[in-house]
Amino acid sequence: MFGLIGHLTSLQHAQAVAKELGYPEYADQGLDFWCSAPPQIVDNITVTSITGQKIEGRYVESCFLPEMLANRRIKAAVRKILNAMAHAQKHGINITALGGFSSIIFEEFNLHESKQVRNIKLEFDRFTTGNTHTAYILCRQVEQASQKLGIELSKATVAVCGATGDIGSAVCRWLDARTDVAELLLIARNQERLQALQSELGRGKIMGLEEALPLADIIVWVASMPKGIEIDPTVLKQPCLLIDGGYPKNLATKIQHPGLYVLNGGIVEHSLDIDWKIMQIVSMDVPARQLFACFAESMLLEFEKLHTNFSWGRNQITVAKMEQIGKFSVKHGFLPLLLSH
Amino acid sequence: MGQIAASPEIDFHSETYKDAYSRINAIVIEGEQEAYDNYIKLAELLPEEKDELIRLSKMESRHKKGFEACGRNLQVAPDIEFARKFFLQLHQNFQAGAAQGNVVTCLLIQSLIIECFAIAAYNIYIPVADDFARKITEGVVKDEYTHLNFGEVWLKAHFEESKAELAQANRQNLPIVWRMLNEVENDARVLAMEKEALVEDFMIAYGEALSNIGFTTRDIMRMSAYGLAAA
Repeated sequence: MFGLIGHLTSLQHAQAVAKELGYPEYADQGLDFWCSAPPQIVDNITVTSITGQKIEGRYVESCFLPEMLANRRIKAAVRKILNAMAHAQKHGINITALGGFSSIIFEEFNLHESKQVRNIKLEFDRFTTGNTHTAYILCRQVEQASQKLGIELSKATVAVCGATGDIGSAVCRWLDARTDVAELLLIARNQERLQALQSELGRGKIMGLEEALPLADIIVWVASMPKGIEIDPTVLKQPCLLIDGGYPKNLATKIQHPGLYVLNGGIVEHSLDIDWKIMQIVSMDVPARQLFACFAESMLLEFEKLHTNFSWGRNQITVAKMEQIGKFSVKHGFLPLLLSH
Repeated sequence: MGQIAASPEIDFHSETYKDAYSRINAIVIEGEQEAYDNYIKLAELLPEEKDELIRLSKMESRHKKGFEACGRNLQVAPDIEFARKFFLQLHQNFQAGAAQGNVVTCLLIQSLIIECFAIAAYNIYIPVADDFARKITEGVVKDEYTHLNFGEVWLKAHFEESKAELAQANRQNLPIVWRMLNEVENDARVLAMEKEALVEDFMIAYGEALSNIGFTTRDIMRMSAYGLAAA
């Protein structure tokens, strides 16, 4: 059995969902209430592979809300993630993906040190960040969407915003090793990490965001932040492909400009309908088929009976592992989301 | 995002700590005493389970002695008077249930609510306890899970006929738990136990118990949050 640990995108969203699902006890409550709310398994999921194989999964709602980070309710945020993980393990789930902010919180606050949750000793090999699959899908989106737009990678400059993160660094490795991208622009806050990445790749220009964006034919956005960032579309090249792989998705709705193509990054579309209720709530365009690639990773690992923390720790994602998860992804019928026109 | 602020060093011998401890320690001692009495009463109501219930009652009695030692270790005199008032309403509801032979109500109060409350409080206390109390509490919390299990197993076996009474007893007693938590919020904070963590752990333990008995997620979310908003 596979699991997905998810959460809602805002307090307002959480209240609306609780109301829609008929939980008045949760619907009218403020942030304090959600800070005390326990994790729940709210959906049973069946996924069928194009090979015909069927697997079962559970959706664990952690009751985490991004406002907890914004309001410095860090202890509550940390409790949500650890409790959701303990809940998943207690219910015998073999491999669970940490969706949304879950994996970010896990990394940022060193939760590897918090193995003991009440009477449960967390077994970290039952969990995966799903970042390997996300990075793989982002790279395939770069390759396929650019082709569709007539942008030749061999002549293209690709800017990776959030380049030193777990996903960003993996994207850089793949683009370097597996494509003939002309130029890589590396954007991140930490100079030390940027230099380490640059020397690992043996290429790439370290640049500030404002300086880099006007040079890029393709922008891969993988920085995650509780609040979005303003991008001035008039300074961008035309055409420009912007792949928003950050969490939460914050660029697509904000920037609209002729010649600018914004693609939801790190999203896959399954070839067959997935039997679940929860995705109608988490605002995907095609809820029966579209999902975060990190969630799909736990499904792939379950299909392959690879019950191990495939993606774990920071900056461990190799091109070989991306190829491996990519093979499973294709085999079971997951496709990178592409531009709809 | 920065690091989690490390908990400041707790001075177990400060007057502020000892003052708060005199009430929290008393609650624990009185709680174990009432648990002892309640299991003896349950043994009368469920004669076929008598041996097991008497065994559980003896464990509660041992726990009480352990917690008395924790108070002595910090040279704190427990405020038992405060603790009796603290438990009064739940105690009365248990007594009333027992007098009418409402086993289900009695099991919900003792085996589910009080045990889950204890499990939550002990789990939150363990990381911030003094060394002596930590060892004692770690031993106790293991036992409390087996006590919770007794109620779960019995109620699961009698789920259909107990369902309505459980829902009614939940409505009657859960709001009392929230009031009790509010009453000790400040003292608990002095011991570095946060109310929101206590509420969360209670809801986790209680929700799991309700799930083991046979309630659906929908029932659990309603029942375990009942009255919390108003508290």
